[in-house]
Amino acid sequence: MMPLTMSDLGTMVSIKKITGADEVKQHLAELGFVVGEEISVVNKNGGNLIVNVKDSRIALDKTLANRIFI
Amino acid sequence: MEIKIALAGNPNSGKTTLFNDLTGSRQYVGNWPGVTVEKKEGKLKGAEYKDVIIQDLPGIYSLSPYTLEEVVSRTYLVTEKPDAIINIVDGTNIERNLYLTTQLLELHIPMIIALNMMDLVRKNGDHVDVKALSDALGCEVVELSALKGEGTEGLVKKAVAAAKSGKSTEAKDVLTGEAKDAVAKIESVLAGSSDQRFLHFNAIKAFERDEKALEALHLSADQKSQIEAIIKDAEKALDDDSESIITNERYNYITGITAKAVKKGRAKGELSVSDKIDRIVTNRILGLPIFAVIMFFIYAIAMGGWSVSIGTAATDFTNDVIFGEWVPGFFDALLGLLHVEEGTVLYGLIQDGIVAGVGAVIGFVPQMLVLFLLLAILEDIGYMARVAFVMDRIFRQFGLSGKSFIPCLVATGCGVPGVMASRTIENERDRKMTLMTTTFMPCGAKLPIIGLIAGAVFGGSPWIAASAYFIGIGSIVLSGIILKKFKAFAGIPAPFVMELPAYHIPSFVGVLRATWERGWSFIKRAGSVIVISSIIIWFLSSFGSVNGHFGLVDNLFEDESIVTDTYVEQLAEKMDVPVEDVNAMDASLLANVGNAVSFVFRPLGFGNWKPTVATVTGLVAKEEVVGTFGVLYNYDDSEEELGEEGDQIWDRVAADYTPIAAFSFMIFNLLCAPCFAAIGAIKREMNNARWTWAAIGYMTGWAYVLALIVYNLGGLFVGEVSFGVGSVAGILLLAALLYLLFRKGYQATAEDVNPNAVKANA
Repeated sequence: MMPLTMSDLGTMVSIKKITGADEVKQHLAELGFVVGEEISVVNKNGGNLIVNVKDSRIALDKTLANRIFI
Repeated sequence: MEIKIALAGNPNSGKTTLFNDLTGSRQYVGNWPGVTVEKKEGKLKGAEYKDVIIQDLPGIYSLSPYTLEEVVSRTYLVTEKPDAIINIVDGTNIERNLYLTTQLLELHIPMIIALNMMDLVRKNGDHVDVKALSDALGCEVVELSALKGEGTEGLVKKAVAAAKSGKSTEAKDVLTGEAKDAVAKIESVLAGSSDQRFLHFNAIKAFERDEKALEALHLSADQKSQIEAIIKDAEKALDDDSESIITNERYNYITGITAKAVKKGRAKGELSVSDKIDRIVTNRILGLPIFAVIMFFIYAIAMGGWSVSIGTAATDFTNDVIFGEWVPGFFDALLGLLHVEEGTVLYGLIQDGIVAGVGAVIGFVPQMLVLFLLLAILEDIGYMARVAFVMDRIFRQFGLSGKSFIPCLVATGCGVPGVMASRTIENERDRKMTLMTTTFMPCGAKLPIIGLIAGAVFGGSPWIAASAYFIGIGSIVLSGIILKKFKAFAGIPAPFVMELPAYHIPSFVGVLRATWERGWSFIKRAGSVIVISSIIIWFLSSFGSVNGHFGLVDNLFEDESIVTDTYVEQLAEKMDVPVEDVNAMDASLLANVGNAVSFVFRPLGFGNWKPTVATVTGLVAKEEVVGTFGVLYNYDDSEEELGEEGDQIWDRVAADYTPIAAFSFMIFNLLCAPCFAAIGAIKREMNNARWTWAAIGYMTGWAYVLALIVYNLGGLFVGEVSFGVGSVAGILLLAALLYLLFRKGYQATAEDVNPNAVKANA
């Protein structure tokens, strides 16, 4: 397992775990970030990511991206 | 009978386009009670539908309480019980959009799904089996392309029919296994307390421990403990927290449906055109330069001085022709017909007070509209969301989120829409901080002040304008650092999560509508606040007591028997002006008031009544500062028209101020409390009188401290000010500022990190 920030651009990866237990985690789930979901990183900008999840593009900052493990 | 249909859907699903399409111009825009979330309502187009009201709900991803928008939407659906829901679903992104759909279906309100963006779905080579989708969800599905206006007619017919029938959809149960059993058990606990219709919905909310949703049910302690026991059992059995259990159940249900009904033309993870653009536009190295170039072109078109600068040309035309000749000419003729002579009170009130005052503000409208139009296009294309993403990395260093950048950007045009743009920031703390600092940016109306000081005192040096932007941005950044150390703002900025809509060609009507909405709110304020304050300023500057006689000072000054030489000498002495420069204005009430409070600005180097009055009139509208200077320094050759930057009075202004005092004056006027229009906007967005005053107090205090330090220490440095009390005060304030910047500050605890959802209803 490694954090999403370390994923290669454009590679499909499966979410293994999302750490933390606050409403941000719930919000991520509503946007499609759930365990088992296949996602890919579209672009990186100094640790901040644009992620392709469920056919939409979600921008995440570094701290959040580090909570998603693949 | 009146029929209410609610329009619900994800952000970026084309909801606004559909709403505009359904209602045309018959819209009413307001706020949801108690919060600053915009509420839009409209009458359905078409004669046969005149009793049908469409209620546009904010764009939401779910009915959980993560954002204000979600709370507002949920409360509306549960308490107001609309007759039907139109759930707009983005056809290119069905899985995520159906998440909200599953929650809406649980409300047992008649519902129609509008499957939007079908043109794009076909273009992408995707296929959606509408029949299968409809059967699986137990709810009618209508294909739609809101942007092209295809399918809306059919949608309207079905939605109205559904509302009239009152037949709610027979929702299929999303849940399975343990979760289903647990929710069924909770249903029996809630049976007596909940409306039968919402029983299933409330039971799921109870299972998710969504306390806000249950407040209205007034559960007993016994019921609560029974529910908690049921949740604990289920969590143990499924080895997950209850919220995640429900989320997973929903997604399993959805993927079950989409596997049958949706066929994708493109392999999962393949880059779209939009992604390829993003690779360049949000690139780590290219992102910022691209943004800078785009902004340069926007300002060149809206505010520059070149032949492409449509905005400047239109504003010049409004100022010089419409409000320079036509409107005053019209009123001149009208008043002439009514035998209202020049020099009377009524004439002065209308021409010098209202026409001149409102004209000064309306003159900026064309420039604003061009700027708003260009920004609306950027927003509609989808670029603004990318800007927030690119800037987040930088703003985060100063305790602000990337979302705070958009308000600052818009505020370079005008503070009012800048302040309004802060609505997209979900975190209350971040939003307040943005509201307190956004108007530090030099807006369009502050440019004449910069022009006047640069031209009169600094020989037109471009560095003065550059320094003004630098001071504005610097103030925002430093304020971010300082404010973050106080308990009220402590904690890391809210995590940045933002959907980036796929780039698309802007909709002509949508862009024009957005431009007009912003422009209109600006004009409305010009018509209210600014008219009243113009009248007050006019009254104070026109009336006064001349040698014991009260009246219009201009008329009294023409009377040689009143204006004696000794009186002129006394007045010159009192007002601290040379005898030969004494004029009617020096005797006005405004001059007296200004003179009485001018001591406040003495430590800043401009403790004289003229700049004091100019600063105060700047509260009406910032360009009034130059307008006032024009009036106050242009006393003898009033025939000649004053240029926008007041070129004709440069010599006199230069004679009255040392460079450092002029610079201090500029700093203070750029940073202090914004104009009334912007203060009004801040008040509306803060929705709290105390915070509004805190914001204004902070801005004015910051401006005062900074101007004082610059005047006294800067003046000492260049040798214009000698060492004295001011220098000591400057040093002390500078030390205090540095302390606030570098002290350790309040350490955020876990509960400070995200106070958002809990306070959502406050």
